Amino acid sequence: MRFLRLYKTFVKQHLKNLMEYRVDFLTGAMSFMINQVTNILFISIIFGQIPELAGWSYYEIIFIYGFSLLPKGLDHFTSDNLWKVAYFIVRKGDFDKYLTRPINPLVHVIIENFQFDALGEFVTGVVLFTYSSIKLGIYFTPLKILLLIIAVVFGMFIFTSIKIACAAIAFWVKRSGSILQVLYMSSDFARYPATIYSKGVRFVISYVIPFAFTSYYPASYFLRGGNPLYCIGGTVVISGVFMLVSILIWNRGIIAYESAGS
Amino acid sequence: MNSIKKVKRMYGAFTNAGIQDFIAYRASFVGFFLGEILICFVMYFIWKAVYASAGNSTFMGFSMVDMMVYIFLTNIAGFLTGTDSTYSIAEEIKDGSIIMRLIKPVKVDLSFLFFELGNKVMIISCVFIPVILGLEIYRYVMLGYVAFNPIRLILFMFSISISYLLAFYLNLIFGYLAFFLLNLWGFNILKESIIKFFSGAIIPLAFFPEVVRNIFEYLPFASLTYTPVMIYMEKYNGSTLLLNLGLQLLWLSFFIWLSKLIWKWAERRLAVQGG
Repeated sequence: MRFLRLYKTFVKQHLKNLMEYRVDFLTGAMSFMINQVTNILFISIIFGQIPELAGWSYYEIIFIYGFSLLPKGLDHFTSDNLWKVAYFIVRKGDFDKYLTRPINPLVHVIIENFQFDALGEFVTGVVLFTYSSIKLGIYFTPLKILLLIIAVVFGMFIFTSIKIACAAIAFWVKRSGSILQVLYMSSDFARYPATIYSKGVRFVISYVIPFAFTSYYPASYFLRGGNPLYCIGGTVVISGVFMLVSILIWNRGIIAYESAGS
Repeated sequence: MNSIKKVKRMYGAFTNAGIQDFIAYRASFVGFFLGEILICFVMYFIWKAVYASAGNSTFMGFSMVDMMVYIFLTNIAGFLTGTDSTYSIAEEIKDGSIIMRLIKPVKVDLSFLFFELGNKVMIISCVFIPVILGLEIYRYVMLGYVAFNPIRLILFMFSISISYLLAFYLNLIFGYLAFFLLNLWGFNILKESIIKFFSGAIIPLAFFPEVVRNIFEYLPFASLTYTPVMIYMEKYNGSTLLLNLGLQLLWLSFFIWLSKLIWKWAERRLAVQGG
């Protein structure tokens, strides 16, 4: 309860901020949207020449692409502050602030900031997802909608847990932004069907940096009726394991944290 | 001769600072570079699937080997022409530290330019040479003969130098806009994705319908990466090559002129508090 009250206060604070910098918000959201639109154009131009890509039709590819933006956008919206931990907060010694407050430092870091720009990503995802679902004639029963929500939320946790673990590395090395950058960019592999990659790459994106479980596997359940136990259950299990491990790393990191000398 | 010496004496320090800066922030550069290379590999797999699905050895005039050279070269061209001038100048305008440049007997744009030159020296030696070597080895293995053409490399270097200067002045203009914009970060992403699209970094311009392609090829964005890459790949020859180099120079002089114009206007409005 106390947490919800705090959360509400933080959100309110941010909405005020948003109202003040409306143009900023629009530029940010627009930029993410246009970024995705150019990629969709790329896919469309390719499909102008070939009927299907590695056995996937145009709308199926758009479905997977749109799906991949849902957990990514949500994570981007909720836990963007972790980037700052990785790049500046630890190095400058500003992490002290979080240690002196009566909230769990990780929770505080995450709820302190909302990245409204991410709505550009998320909304594009929703549009692509809905549009391709209609074109493919996918029928959503209540059970499927429930599974969809589960897949998206746990997919988001996969992103967040990888960000937590990478940001936590900063507690030892002061600055871990570049590690986070590389891992985060590798999520681009998840935008396309995992079947187009070589076996080695597919193994890595499924079990090592499991971004395939944020998009391709759950999407393939809705598209081709893949085994839900593996496609959606896998997402839940993997994100649970990753979250647990990354929180352990984070807590270890806080013990190792040394403030800046000044 | 004397004037070259003078420039070297005046701006050499900025170049040195640029080299030092690159060394200091190498970790973030490596992270960014590896991330970009990863994305190149995503593209590699997509194109591999495209060629397999098309059942054809060429796709709109590009072979698979062409496509790989195109993807990696475009990416490297992005690093060579990449410039932080938007951020650097915008930040200095906002916090007022630009005054430190104004009171020195140096030109503002040139001092930024020479600083970045130091950065580029490092990128050419640490990234560009290894990637070109890797690409040529790949081409040799795939084609069975040495496809490397040193004259094309020289022409590429010449063309990409123009591209860099063009990118620099284009970004400088955006930096001056810092007077009006707050969310420079979002704006920058917007700008980058537009440039990436129009310069052919995502889809080769050759893949667009003819009418669209003709327009895109004359826009300044094509001069940024597409022209040098096409020159290296021997897709531009003879008069087309000369025409495109001329176009690059034309756009460059236009943007230098425009940036000078805006700076003159901005300088008058610049008010530095305290200091």
